[in-house]
Amino acid sequence: MTAAQRRWLFLAGAAGFAAFYLWGLTGLPGFGHYPGPYGDIINRIAVAQTNATGVVSAVNFEYRGFDTVAEEYILFVAAIGVSTVLRQLRGERERAARDEAVGRRVPPTSDAVRVLSLMLIGPTLVMGWFLASHAQTSPSGGFQGGVVLATSFILLYLAGEFLVFERVSPLDITDAVGAVGAGGFAAIGITAVGLGLAYLTNFLPLGSTPGAVSSSGTIALISFFVGLEVGAAFVLIVSELLEQTLLLRHRS
Amino acid sequence: MDQLLPLAAVVPLLVAAGISAASRFLRRRRRILDAIGIATAVAVTVMLIVIMTRAAHGDSVYWFAGFRPSRGVAIGIDFAAGPLSAGLACLAAALVSAAMIFSWRYFEQVATYYHALMLTFLAGMVGYCLTGDIFDLFVWFELMGVSAYVLTAYRPEERGPLQGALNFAITNSVGAYLILSGIALSYGRTGALNMAQIGRDMARHGPDRLVVVAFVLIISGLLIKGAIVPFHFWLADAHAVAPTPVCVLFSGVMVELGLYGIARVYWSVFGYGLGHRQTVTSVFLALGMLTAIAGALFCFRERHLKRLLAFSTISHAGMFLTGIAVLTPLGLAGAAVYVAGHALLKAALFLGTGIVLHRLGSVNETWLHGRGRHLRVTGIIFTLAALGLADLPPFATYLGKGWIESAAATRGFPWVTAVFIISSVLVGAAVLRVAGGVFYGLGDPPSESPQVAAESSEETSETQAAKQRTPLSMIAPAAVLVVAGIVVALLPDLGPVLQASAVRFQDQAAYNATVLSGAHIPHPRALFPPEDTGVKAADLASGFGSAAGALLLAFLALYWKRLPVLRRGFEPGTGLVQPIRRFQSGIVNDYVAWIVFGLACVGGALAFTIR
Repeated sequence: MTAAQRRWLFLAGAAGFAAFYLWGLTGLPGFGHYPGPYGDIINRIAVAQTNATGVVSAVNFEYRGFDTVAEEYILFVAAIGVSTVLRQLRGERERAARDEAVGRRVPPTSDAVRVLSLMLIGPTLVMGWFLASHAQTSPSGGFQGGVVLATSFILLYLAGEFLVFERVSPLDITDAVGAVGAGGFAAIGITAVGLGLAYLTNFLPLGSTPGAVSSSGTIALISFFVGLEVGAAFVLIVSELLEQTLLLRHRS
Repeated sequence: MDQLLPLAAVVPLLVAAGISAASRFLRRRRRILDAIGIATAVAVTVMLIVIMTRAAHGDSVYWFAGFRPSRGVAIGIDFAAGPLSAGLACLAAALVSAAMIFSWRYFEQVATYYHALMLTFLAGMVGYCLTGDIFDLFVWFELMGVSAYVLTAYRPEERGPLQGALNFAITNSVGAYLILSGIALSYGRTGALNMAQIGRDMARHGPDRLVVVAFVLIISGLLIKGAIVPFHFWLADAHAVAPTPVCVLFSGVMVELGLYGIARVYWSVFGYGLGHRQTVTSVFLALGMLTAIAGALFCFRERHLKRLLAFSTISHAGMFLTGIAVLTPLGLAGAAVYVAGHALLKAALFLGTGIVLHRLGSVNETWLHGRGRHLRVTGIIFTLAALGLADLPPFATYLGKGWIESAAATRGFPWVTAVFIISSVLVGAAVLRVAGGVFYGLGDPPSESPQVAAESSEETSETQAAKQRTPLSMIAPAAVLVVAGIVVALLPDLGPVLQASAVRFQDQAAYNATVLSGAHIPHPRALFPPEDTGVKAADLASGFGSAAGALLLAFLALYWKRLPVLRRGFEPGTGLVQPIRRFQSGIVNDYVAWIVFGLACVGGALAFTIR
C-alpha cells in the first residue's frame, strides 16, 4: 500500500469512526447525572469496613484488589520484557557497533546538577517511603511511592557516576526485589485462602483508629509490596536504558 | 465457595514471581526450572478440569475478598466459571503444558524469564476466561497481551526479530484502548463493572446508541485479538518471529480467547441491551465468511510453514465466529468443539514444524522439499494432523464444522456449508501439500521466484546446528495432541453436554440470577431451540468430502507441472502473490489504518441494531 492509499484508507475510516463515536457520546447521561450506586455505596461503607481513610487505596487494594494483582504483574512483565529485549539487542549491537555520532564529546555533568541531585536524594527517599507506607491514611500508595523511590536512584545517577548507580542497584537484585514485591501481593491473597477465607480477604487486625498508620490490616501491607515492585520495575527499566546508552558512549 | 477458582489463576503468578526472585540460583539449573514450569502448568490443568466438572450444572461464582453483592449491586470482583469458560481455560493450560514439555530439549539455552513469562501468560488466559467482571477481563487481557509480546520477541527465530513483536504489540494495544473506552462508556450508562449487573441495567434501559457504541468498541478490540479480517494482519507477522512453542499458544488458544470474549460480552452483557438480533447475526456472519475465505486463500499461497499455519488459524477463526454468529446453542456448541479440535491439531502441527526446524534448520517449504523423508514419525503425525485440519472424521473438527453448518442451515443460511467446505479444502490442501512434499518428497518442489525464496529462507534456528535425533520430549507431546484430537470427538454424551452448556452460557437471565443473587438455576432457558447432536450422515459426508477434496487439491498442487495442462507456467495460487504482498506489507501503519477502517464499517453496520 502506498503512503497516499494508506492515508485515504485511514482518513475514511477515521471520519466514519469519529462520526459513529460522537453519535454514541450524545447518548451519555448529562453532566452531574451519576448513574451508578457504586461510588455512593463505597463512600458510605469503606471507612467503617476497612478503617482506611484513603478510600482510593481501599478500592485499589481491597474491594477491587484482584484487579490490582494483575495490574502489578503487567508492570512486572513489562519490566522484565524491557530487559529481555534490550539485553538481546545489546548482544546484537556488540557485534556491529560503530554508530551514532563518533566524534561527539560528552559534556561533563555540571557541579550544580551534582549538588542539587545529592541534596534531593534524601528527601525523595523519605517522600517515596512516606507515600508507599501511608496508603491507608491519605490518597497515596505503593504505585506513587514506588515511582518516587525509583526517582531517588535516578538522582543518584545524575549526582555521581553510572558505576555507583550500578553498584547500588545491581540488575540481579533489582529483578529479585521486583519479583518479591509482585509475589508478596499474590501471597497475601493466598494466605487468606489458607485461613479458610476468600482470596485477598483482609485477615489482619484493622486497628482502632481509622486513618492511623497502623490501621487497615492488609491494605497497608499490600501497598508496601506494591511499592517494592513498582520501585524495582522503574529502576530496572531506567538502568537498562542507561546501560544501553552508556555502553555505546564508552565504546566511541 | 470453591477455592480452586482463584488458585488456578494465582498459582502460576506466584510461581512466576518465585522463579524470578530466585533467578540467580536457578540460572544454571535449567532442569529444575523446566520441571517447575511443567509441574505448575499440569497442576493448573488438573485444577481446571475439576472446576469444569463442578460447573456442569451451574456456574461456580467466587467473590474476591468475600464481598458478595448486596441488593443486586456488586461491590467486589467475581469469577464466574461455567463449563465452557473453564473448558477453554483448561485447553489453554493443557497447551501450555505441552509447549513447556516440548521446550525441554528445544531451546539450547533459556533464561529464567522464559518460564516466568509462560506462566504469567497462562495466568492471564485463565483469569480472562473465568472472570465475571468486565474491567477485570480487560486487566487479564492486558497481562496476557504483555506476556505474549515479550514471548514473541524472545529468542526470535528469524532476523529482524522485533518487527513482528512490535506490530503485534501496537495493534493489540490499540485493541486494548478500544476495549477500555468501551468499558468507560458502558460505565457511563450503568455505573457498574460486573458483567451481570451491567447486563441487567442495560436491559432495563433498553437499546440505545451509547450501548451500541460501547459494544462496538469492546468487540473491535476483541476482533483484533481474534484475528478477524480486516483486523488480523498482526497474526502472521507475530507467528513468523515467535518461538515455535509460543506459536502453539498463539494459534491454539490466544486467538480463540478473543472470540470467546465476544461471546461472553454478548451473552452476559449486551444480549438484552442490543435489540435487533438479526443485525448482530448478519454482521458477525459477514465477518466470519470473509475471514474464512481470505485466510484460506492466503494460507494456500504461503510457503513459509509458520505463516502458512498462521493463515490457516485466521481461516478457522472465521469459522468459529460463524458458530457464534448464528446465536443458537448448537452453533456455540459447534464452535466450542471446533476450537478444541483445532487447538489440539494445530498445536501438533506447530510442534511438528518445530521438530522440522530443529532437525533441518528451515521452515521454508520450497527448500525443505523431500528433505524430511527420514523424519518418519514426525511425518506421520504431521500428515494425520493435516487430515484432521481438513475435518476428516473421526477428528473432533468434523463435529464442530458439522454442527455449525446445521445450526446455520436452521437459521436460514444453508450456503455457509459451501463456504466452509471451500475454506476447509484450501487450508487442508495447503497443509497436506507441505506434508507430502516435505516428508514424502512427492511431486515437484514449488517454483518460487528467487526473491521470495531468499526472503523466507532466512531462518536462524535457536537450536544452532541441525540435530541428528528427535528427542522423545519433542515427539511425544505432538503424538499425544493428535490422539487427543480424536478422543475429544469420542467422549460419551459430548453433544448433549456441550449443547446444555451452550444453553446455559446463552441464558442471560439465569447468569444474572446466579451471579447477583446466588440462585441455582437447574434448567436454563434457550432462546433458540436446541437441536439434534447425534452423528448425522450430512456431517460425515461434509467431513469426508472436504478431506477428500483437500487431498485431491494437494496432489494437484504437487504434480501440477507434470499435468498436461492448459497453461504452462501457471501454478495454483501464484496469482495471489501480488495481492498478498500488498495487504500483508509488514508495515504497522497499514495495519492500524485497516483497523480504523474496519472499526468504522463494523460500527456503521451494528448501528442498525437500534432501528
